[in-house]
Amino acid sequence: MRWTGRAGAALLTIFAMLLAGCSAGDSSDTAGSGPVHITFWSALRGSQEVVDEYNRTHTKIKVDFEQVPSGDQGGWAKLSNAARAGNAPDVATIEYPQLPGYAIDGVPRDITKMLPDSVRRKIMPQAMDLTTFEGRTYALPVDIEPMVFLYRKDLFTKHGIPVPKTWAEFESSARKLKKADPRSRIASLFTTGGTLHMAGYSWQAGARWYDTTGETWRVSMDDAPTRKVATYWQRLLDDDLVRVEPSSSQQWRAHLQSGETAGWLAGAWAAGSMMASTPGGKGKWAIAPFPQWDLKKPSLGTQGGSTFMVTKDSNHPKEALEFISWMVTSPDALKAKLSSGISSAYPTVPELVPVARKEMDTSYYSGQDIFSLFEKEAKLINPRWKWGPRMVSTISSGDDGLARAGAGSGSILDALREAQRKTMPDLKSLGLSVTER
Amino acid sequence: MSTVTSSTRAPTSSAAAAPAKPLRKAGQRQQKLAAFTLLAPFTVLLVAVFLVPVGYAIGLSFFSEDHDGLGFGGGETVFTGLRSYLAVLSDPSFVSGFGAILLYCVIFVPAVVVGALALALLLDSGLMRLRRTAQMLLYLPHAVPGVIAAVIWLYLYTPGLSPVIKLFAQADITIDFLGLHTVLPSIVNIALWSGLGYNMVIFYAALQALPREVIEAARIDGAGGFRTALMVKVPIIRGSVVMVCMFALIGALQLFTEPMLMNQATPMVNSRFTPNMYIFDAAFRRNNYGLASAASVILLVVTCALSYAVTRWAGRRERSAR
Repeated sequence: MRWTGRAGAALLTIFAMLLAGCSAGDSSDTAGSGPVHITFWSALRGSQEVVDEYNRTHTKIKVDFEQVPSGDQGGWAKLSNAARAGNAPDVATIEYPQLPGYAIDGVPRDITKMLPDSVRRKIMPQAMDLTTFEGRTYALPVDIEPMVFLYRKDLFTKHGIPVPKTWAEFESSARKLKKADPRSRIASLFTTGGTLHMAGYSWQAGARWYDTTGETWRVSMDDAPTRKVATYWQRLLDDDLVRVEPSSSQQWRAHLQSGETAGWLAGAWAAGSMMASTPGGKGKWAIAPFPQWDLKKPSLGTQGGSTFMVTKDSNHPKEALEFISWMVTSPDALKAKLSSGISSAYPTVPELVPVARKEMDTSYYSGQDIFSLFEKEAKLINPRWKWGPRMVSTISSGDDGLARAGAGSGSILDALREAQRKTMPDLKSLGLSVTER
Repeated sequence: MSTVTSSTRAPTSSAAAAPAKPLRKAGQRQQKLAAFTLLAPFTVLLVAVFLVPVGYAIGLSFFSEDHDGLGFGGGETVFTGLRSYLAVLSDPSFVSGFGAILLYCVIFVPAVVVGALALALLLDSGLMRLRRTAQMLLYLPHAVPGVIAAVIWLYLYTPGLSPVIKLFAQADITIDFLGLHTVLPSIVNIALWSGLGYNMVIFYAALQALPREVIEAARIDGAGGFRTALMVKVPIIRGSVVMVCMFALIGALQLFTEPMLMNQATPMVNSRFTPNMYIFDAAFRRNNYGLASAASVILLVVTCALSYAVTRWAGRRERSAR
């Protein structure tokens, strides 16, 4: 009997612990006077410095910052779970592709009415469009990343290869480079992370993977512009003109460092990342505008970029919005962020670009005025693009397919089609109005 | 196994039955109490970690977040009937998970049964030296938790880290354990490594219980060791073979740990590689609990049906054999 009693007690303890675990982390409301405390989650580098600067210069609002893992390392799941449990932070960071999914799940607050016009006007309209659905704004974008071409200027000069202005020239440059040095490739076709690159290329070509006209998600990851892009890259792949590897992988970085991979197609942020990860490349790299399909009708997609949301759970939405408006529009916030290390993230607020340019030491790129280039390119961003409701899993499905295509099983277009096929049941089960074009 | 415990209890209950009526009543009550006490932990656990979650999952699978149009107006949880089930069944990645399991079974089940049986027969025949040591060494991998085992093997599979790949490379052989066609055999290999010893012990125990006179009779009839093993021992322990097959089958349907870790290392194992991984992905990557619950219920039904079918089939064979 004593034994069962004790066992029962033990079970009760376990249950109590489980229950406590579920309700832990309640945000304590500071009643009465004193500053309002808001919590902020981010995986972005330099966030701590930005928060410190804010707390130093502001007295009415105090921000408690928590560094969270990046999205694919568990950050997305952490935010979803917290929101589900009702204890999401007041402010969270999310990338553009993932925002619509969170908005449908009811994590961010609709800030359309709260957002002062003075703030909205400062931000590039193309960036605001990516965080606005059906006229409702769900987040403030902090950086937008027009795609550019980073290349080894020294190698291009050595082999007498012209810097490609169009995709046709890109292909011929790729062939010339491989001919000049059989071990060398002009760029990489990414497996992991590749779907986001394909999205950027397709975006540029005029594709619309998710069309939201008519209150319906009209999904087509193989529309005519995408097919053009996929066919083009398939040819580069089949002719062994690009290196196949996961993005941000050890092997990819090693190839960049050794010069075996002579180029990188990525968002503007890549300039800073390259400086930090490949210090030996100083003076060798340069940045060119992204290759175009038609020079007379230039257009561009983006790759990367983040937004800040005020969550629905927040008890202090007004203060939270004030904080994120400051992070996005204030020169002090940008300077604090840049003080933590090199970053070439392109601000969504054009009037901050001179600040970023001034803080950036471009001797790595032989003094090239890279921010003027970004500024010119950012204006070309095609405004028609929308991300879909479940991009985390759509992207990973696409990446799986690209890895198989890279290993010679199936094609790039198959990978995108399969990503769409694997996404549809999910959207339908949510009750969303969706059609395949 | 249960017969052993009841037979040891028998003397005490017959002793309790001897005294007068009131005492017997008290004894009965005590017995009831004892039975209740002994069953309680099991019942509590069964209810708490099986019946309640299953009920919850079934509930979740019929109720789901519902949205209008693009879905930005905010959703509400409503009864959606079979919508989640239809979505799961129309998802090619869920169905292909069963395909992967089937392929896995085709390689794993015969390999583990034949391998474990061969080892057990070897041990039983006395051909193997140091029987106890061999038995322990073979069983040892099973004591290693699945996650740890997967991590160890992943280390041996990963190019650039693996000493095995390096060794092969020195002999000018390039080997890719995580390639398109090698990844499934690589998973089977991990499962074999940890499962072989365990199943061998089951077979070995069954072989130990064989009546020695039957073996002797076979020997007198002129059957060699090999023939005795194949024609006499194996048919007699058929029950154990069926049980191991069933466990392997159910284990295969639950396949999760190894491919989940491999998913981190190679894109050839996608995040919905097996039905269990599909469920995990639906719940925690897609935040679609209705979909995840429906997939769980389907997996539960398939597992139950398959177990039932295997037992029925084995039972019928047993009966017809008699």
